[in-house]
Amino acid sequence: MNSIEISVNSASCYKNNNIVFNNVNFKVKDYDVGLITGPNGCGKTTLIKALCGIQNLESGEILFNNVNIKDSKSIFFENLVYVGHKNSLNNDLTIIENLEYLSALDNSVHKTDNNVIEKAMNFFDIYKYRDYMVSDLSEGNKKKASLSRLLISQKKIWVLDEPLSNLDEGTIKNFINLILSHQKKGGITIASTHNDFSGNIKNIRHLKMVGNK
Amino acid sequence: MITTIVKKECSLYFRNLNNMFLPLIFFFLIISIFPLVLGPEKILFDKIIPGVIWITSILTTLLTSNNFFKDDYNNGIIETYMTSESSVELILFLKIILCWIFTCFPIVIFIPLVSLLFDIPFQISLVILLTLIIGTPVLISIGIFGSALTLGLAKNNTLLPVIILPFYIPVLIFSASAIEAVSVGLPYGMQIYILLAFLFLVLPIMPYLLKYTLGISINN
Repeated sequence: MNSIEISVNSASCYKNNNIVFNNVNFKVKDYDVGLITGPNGCGKTTLIKALCGIQNLESGEILFNNVNIKDSKSIFFENLVYVGHKNSLNNDLTIIENLEYLSALDNSVHKTDNNVIEKAMNFFDIYKYRDYMVSDLSEGNKKKASLSRLLISQKKIWVLDEPLSNLDEGTIKNFINLILSHQKKGGITIASTHNDFSGNIKNIRHLKMVGNK
Repeated sequence: MITTIVKKECSLYFRNLNNMFLPLIFFFLIISIFPLVLGPEKILFDKIIPGVIWITSILTTLLTSNNFFKDDYNNGIIETYMTSESSVELILFLKIILCWIFTCFPIVIFIPLVSLLFDIPFQISLVILLTLIIGTPVLISIGIFGSALTLGLAKNNTLLPVIILPFYIPVLIFSASAIEAVSVGLPYGMQIYILLAFLFLVLPIMPYLLKYTLGISINN
């Protein structure tokens, strides 16, 4: 795989004339884990959305291999998995149906390997719930199901918004191992979080955001 | 990919059967209210019933398109679409087509029954059927576009009809004109062709318009 570099250059964002964040600079490349921390309302989610190209900036730019992501959307999205704050699961489908659907939208999934979804569900210990409707699951299990997409996909950039919310301690430990093994393969992880899990991870790029008050 | 999308949408419709049957029941309820209010005069009904069928169809499409993207928006699925390398336009196109098949097509199927109920001549009911088959996909597309436009707003229920009803007018004019023409024995080919032109104009551009609108809706 080609090497990848994502940089945010003096980005500012406004919502309804209120400033969300101002002059943010941030850079991640292969083997990096980018952590975005900060108090509530400092614009973490907005920045994450901007990184995925679904939030417009007031000024500044986000570059993917030195090209603005607005101009390189197709190649950027081929490398990007975005797991947002919302779970992206349909309440009236079972977990397995949801994951099959989401993996159909993802060109990097090995279409010949039927076990990837099963393996991903086993990793997060939700295989026993495979035929449950998503509306019957607890919030933690919904989060696990949406994070399973990371294991199904073969993409290189993971952008995660609050991935640890609602997860229990064992799962958090598992999940950090998952990030470490993704890092070993050269992948990039960008996550907004309140629990600083940087402890035993190398190549951390830490962005501390402050509120604009 | 197409089969997975179709399978998922179909199982959603089959699991929420009220999404499928509510429009149909609504259609029949509204239609059957008219004789109760206006009295059972045959001459009056011969004149107004095609219009009644069309107005009821409009109300039904408004009902179904109102919350079309709401679940996907609340669950964050739209954000996943927008950050996926797959063709969002294709997904949206399939969604429009399936929405028509599951909500409007049942009404089209039951038009012969309605014709029997109100004793509409065969020729006229055939034209009603034809205009509905061509016209309702356009109405559904426009309705879905309206629901994408009002998605970002907290209370969008009353705004939607105000925005999209004016866009229904061209389809209505030519459908009414075709039905009028056949009931006085004139040719109605021209109106049908214009309706077809609307259909082939709206269906191909709608997915692109929807993608753009949804992009704006998730932007704030």
